[in-house]
Amino acid sequence: MKKKAKVLSVTSMAVTMLLSLAACGSDNDNPSASNTASPTEQSSSNTGNGEKVKLRIVTLTTDENRNNIMEQYIKPNVAKALPNVEVEFEPGGGGEDMANKLKTYNSSGDMPDVFWDDAGFFIPLNNTGSIMDLTPYITKDGFLDKYDVPGALKHIDGKIYSLSSGSDTYFTPVIFYHKDMFEKAGVKVPTTFDELLEASKKLNANDMVPAVTPGKGGWGPQLFLLQQMVQIGDPQAMEDLVSNKTDFNNPSVKAGASRIEQLVKADFFPKGIANLDYGPAMEMFTSKKAAMLMMFTWELPNLAKDDTVDFFPFPSASDKYDSAKHVQYWGSPLNGYAVNAKTKHPEEAVKLAEFLAMMDAKYFESKGAPVSLNTGDAAPEPGPLMKKFIDWYNPIPTKIPSLALNSLDAKVSAELGSQGASLLTGEYSTDQFIEAMQKVWSQNTWFNQ
Amino acid sequence: MNKYYSTKMSIFVFAAPALLLFTVFCVYPLFPEIWMSLHNHDGFRNLGFVGLDNYKDMLSSSSFWLAHKNTYLIVGISVLIGLPLSLMLALFMDVQNPRFRRIFKTSAMFPAILSVTVVSQIWVSFYDPNWGLFNTILKSIGLESWTHSWLTERKTVMPSIGLSFLWQYIGLNAMLFYAGIKTIPKNYYEAALIDGANFVQVCIRITIPLLQDITKYVLILSTLGSMAFYAQVRVMTAGGPGDTSRTVVYQMYYTAFGTSEFGKGTAIAVIFILECLLISFLIQRFVAREKLEF
Repeated sequence: MKKKAKVLSVTSMAVTMLLSLAACGSDNDNPSASNTASPTEQSSSNTGNGEKVKLRIVTLTTDENRNNIMEQYIKPNVAKALPNVEVEFEPGGGGEDMANKLKTYNSSGDMPDVFWDDAGFFIPLNNTGSIMDLTPYITKDGFLDKYDVPGALKHIDGKIYSLSSGSDTYFTPVIFYHKDMFEKAGVKVPTTFDELLEASKKLNANDMVPAVTPGKGGWGPQLFLLQQMVQIGDPQAMEDLVSNKTDFNNPSVKAGASRIEQLVKADFFPKGIANLDYGPAMEMFTSKKAAMLMMFTWELPNLAKDDTVDFFPFPSASDKYDSAKHVQYWGSPLNGYAVNAKTKHPEEAVKLAEFLAMMDAKYFESKGAPVSLNTGDAAPEPGPLMKKFIDWYNPIPTKIPSLALNSLDAKVSAELGSQGASLLTGEYSTDQFIEAMQKVWSQNTWFNQ
Repeated sequence: MNKYYSTKMSIFVFAAPALLLFTVFCVYPLFPEIWMSLHNHDGFRNLGFVGLDNYKDMLSSSSFWLAHKNTYLIVGISVLIGLPLSLMLALFMDVQNPRFRRIFKTSAMFPAILSVTVVSQIWVSFYDPNWGLFNTILKSIGLESWTHSWLTERKTVMPSIGLSFLWQYIGLNAMLFYAGIKTIPKNYYEAALIDGANFVQVCIRITIPLLQDITKYVLILSTLGSMAFYAQVRVMTAGGPGDTSRTVVYQMYYTAFGTSEFGKGTAIAVIFILECLLISFLIQRFVAREKLEF
């Protein structure tokens, strides 16, 4: 009896382990997995027997724009646009949450059919053959021709991995402000960094919080604040950093970090900025608890609903910078809707990605924002604030790519956020920041790939 | 019938479902985890065998040790402050009239049944340096110099998070102690009262010694629960600013998912499992070893 129990016990343990191995395994360690398939090479399993093809999407659900696109454009139109497809939507959050979700799915061989790709996790997805080259599909069906500049979709390897509305390249960080609060505090729109500090003093003296930006996890410094603070002093140094021609020991980069420290010490931001999340930061500005908001222009359509809101470019800290000549732009050809190279229904999945990109474009266009994907709709006349933005942004000759999307591997990106949040506390010096960043920057693998 | 249920075969049959789940979700993952900790893995791909390099890197990282300091601070708060307070609450509950006791029990359990995210968000709003409850109270009583940016200052961030943790689980622990108190026979107390013992003497001489099994259980639960401290940190500070409020489990998450160094992340996990096993062993070995029968 004792022996039987032992045998049973060992057998059940062994079976359990084998089952677990089978369930958890994936072939992602096989680097030879191909991510290129022509529309004719892989046939769709939609056999025409009337059964709908089921596709799963994981997409961004981070802000009001994204939720509006989903609720007002994607969900009401998807059945009509793709009648043979049944779509399962899965909220992906954004940023780190999205990356983690996709890493987990990729490791367990459970990648969605369509997902929002980001430059931050593209390379490993590509290396594991989990992202499809869309070029043959979108060339064949003519979707590529709907873009004003089709070449802008190409990655450096010449392939197209993601479809977007093209609005990303129009996103840039600016300083939004409440005109009435400025007027009440006797503040004029600052054109230099010193004037910005002066404005901060006056606003503080009037019991107003001068400015907010999301600081939790170092969101602001990681995505734009460091870049802006370096750029306003020396745009060339920023361009060099983005293209790996210099490092964090560059005096101009150090001066940029030092400007963040100066802003914190001048009480430019509210107490606790280092733990202020995106939503509460937006709420502080829209409820007029803060006079200024440092934010990307993707929030411009929503903020423009308030007549008291205006914006100005980041003010200059040296003669080298002119806001009419230099600007940071968001976006990368890798950011957009991508298709899992291992999907069972490649053609339908590509069609779905095209539909999603088109819905994005229609939404942003309806808000008066510029897009590079032709929707066929008559573009509405942009509102005054959007017009002001387009008139300022379009003629700028030097558009500097975002450091966050175009130069950092996952480790440097995470550390920039982490160190940036520390810098926002006022308890962390510029020297400590530079030393820590230089250490991780020297191990940056982005440019090796 | 009794003979049938007491055979080893029947014990195995009844234990099999739990054994199966434990094997799949607890024992089995250890093996790929140890394997991964010896490799350079970015979460997507295995980039090669690196031997013990991940362990060396982690053990020489200041963030790793700060995470340990933070974790053991939370364990300290939970065990050295939380446990005595829970016991005191349970003793207090025991001497109340039934109506008050019912209200007290419900209030004590309430925080524990709330989601960690909800509780953490409530405490984040309490700690808001500009409009939060704590700073507003301190300002209103003239103690403005005592106000802090609770969740961003190095000195205050971990105790602040620890306080929210304490608040959430102190009632649950008190309920466990209370349940233990109710198992102590009444005649022990009657005899002590006849001998002229007061409340404190009864607690020290009778209640606390006879609660040793429950104390051991709560101690293990609190220690290991606070060692696995993660959710509150994730919601309240995301481990920040910088690495200031990272616990070991958060550091493991950050290393694996934040910086995409899964090999190093799993190395932290393996080290931490050994620590947890050691602590469990020490508690089992030295706390309440003799079985009490009453």
